[in-house]
Amino acid sequence: MSARSASAVSLQGVTYRYPGTKSGVFDIALDILPGELVVCVGPSGCGKTTLLRLIAGFLKPDAGAIRLNGEDVSQLPTRARECGVVFQAYALFPHMRVWENVAYPLRVRKVPLAERRRRAQEMLELVGLSGLHNRFPAQLSGGQQQRVALARALVFQPRALLLDEPLSALDAATRVAMRDEVRRIQRAQNIASLLITHDQDEALSLADRIVVMKEGRLVQRGSPHEIYDRPVDSFVANFVGRANLLEGRVIDDETVETPIGRLATPPHGHERGSLIRLLVRPERIQLAAPATGENVFTAQVLRDRFYGATRQIEVVAGNGRLEVETAARDPVAGVHVPRDAIQFLHNT
Amino acid sequence: MLLRWITSLYLVYLVVPIALLFTGSFGDLWLNTILPTGFTTHWYRDVAADPSFRRAFASSLAVAFITCTACAAIGLPLAYAVFRAESRRVRAISRVLYQLPVALPALVLAFGFVLVFSSDTLPWLGSIWLLAAGHIVLTLPYFLQAVVADMQRLGLRTLEDAAESLGSSGVQRFFHVVLPALRHSILAGLIIVAALSLGEFQFSNLVAGFLNRTYPVVLLQAFYGATGFACAATVFLLALALLAAIAGGLAAGGATRMRAAAA
Repeated sequence: MSARSASAVSLQGVTYRYPGTKSGVFDIALDILPGELVVCVGPSGCGKTTLLRLIAGFLKPDAGAIRLNGEDVSQLPTRARECGVVFQAYALFPHMRVWENVAYPLRVRKVPLAERRRRAQEMLELVGLSGLHNRFPAQLSGGQQQRVALARALVFQPRALLLDEPLSALDAATRVAMRDEVRRIQRAQNIASLLITHDQDEALSLADRIVVMKEGRLVQRGSPHEIYDRPVDSFVANFVGRANLLEGRVIDDETVETPIGRLATPPHGHERGSLIRLLVRPERIQLAAPATGENVFTAQVLRDRFYGATRQIEVVAGNGRLEVETAARDPVAGVHVPRDAIQFLHNT
Repeated sequence: MLLRWITSLYLVYLVVPIALLFTGSFGDLWLNTILPTGFTTHWYRDVAADPSFRRAFASSLAVAFITCTACAAIGLPLAYAVFRAESRRVRAISRVLYQLPVALPALVLAFGFVLVFSSDTLPWLGSIWLLAAGHIVLTLPYFLQAVVADMQRLGLRTLEDAAESLGSSGVQRFFHVVLPALRHSILAGLIIVAALSLGEFQFSNLVAGFLNRTYPVVLLQAFYGATGFACAATVFLLALALLAAIAGGLAAGGATRMRAAAA
């Protein structure tokens, strides 16, 4: 209970179903600590935006409780919840100047004009736009507009910051730069934040903690390392990072027969003859000369893509296929699957 | 090259009748000749001095003003309701419904008005208010179209969501966000309404009473008289319509520029 009251955002058993459909979010439990950045990641339609809209108050949960700083806000209207929201399409007011946009939350809170200007100016400095306060949104680039939106969502010291795919409308180069900016600004304000994205790179590089969502439910939560290195199932393994998934039949405690051949694995404790699923990340597989040791297989190249820093190769080994990511430039004759690169997934 | 030719031909086709009107309005005498003879400005002075034209001009302005006010008062909430409707089907149906008057001949509406309002219980045929009521039905679709389209282009819903999350109440959102963000399309819509109302003939001719005839209705009478007089009277209407069109174009242009830059 004490952990719960310490969290800035706390969801318990939150359920919402869109009227007349089967989609929505179901039995969501989630806590965000003060200053923590949680990234919710999932494919489109998995309910992640619904989750954000529930916290912001645009939707009211059918069941469950939403607490902000310990206060149950489940039935409060959006404007009483004091959450800063950043939208994918920026949603800046087109008829207001940059500083007026940023100062708008203060205007509706009846803050005197002089102080509004001062605090808007401070926020614009924080997001690195101090020279542009008199521009109109239409005169700014996408990245600049998103900075204004961020400043506007933070200027009234909200209880939480909610970001709905904030970077997906930006071009690739700006997106990566803005990632660091979002992180820096979020840290500077030390505010509990939930960022929604379908971009796994964004999730891995930004988050203190990741929650993975699928069909309206949270399927895994953990640090970026945990999510990437120990995915609970093949969905998470595939969605976060690229994955080789191998079906295998257990030979003994350290051997599994798979389509690519017989693999020596770490001890797994499954019964002889049972079917299990193995995960090997492409970057853990090494190139090797054929028949030079344990777990080395002859490989034929199907596809070889060169990306500069890395090279992504799809090979056929035995009756199976493997994706390999490597920095090596050598021709491919065989691959080595190191024993410690093999993980076991729970379900099938 | 072909395009340029087509454009030029179309422009000629567009401009020649208007140019003839102008020429005729300054011509002293225009009987069986291609162009009028002599130069005079007395037709303009005659029109300006004519009591029935002066009254018609005032009636037209009054009707246009009432129509614009009512379109704004009815149209804005209606546009908002159509735009915010939850169900896709409701939006589609209301869209068809509010566009219906465009397909309806003004004549049909006028016959209906004559039938209903010539009775003893509702003897309002010929009043300015009834004229305006008809014009509202005929012009509201154009106003709604302009405003609803702008709401969609702006993403008004997200703007309102943003305002709400920032602590803005319903009334504040309307006056701080909705109204100012839509100001260009509201203005452009109202100017279209004014132009349509000022030039409307079919409906007005049947429904207007003798004392409250609108300008186009009186204008028809002029063509039974001197050609120069009729031309000058038409130029007045043309000037009014042109003014409305230019203002409308400027307003719409301003809106598009802001939108384009925003996108």
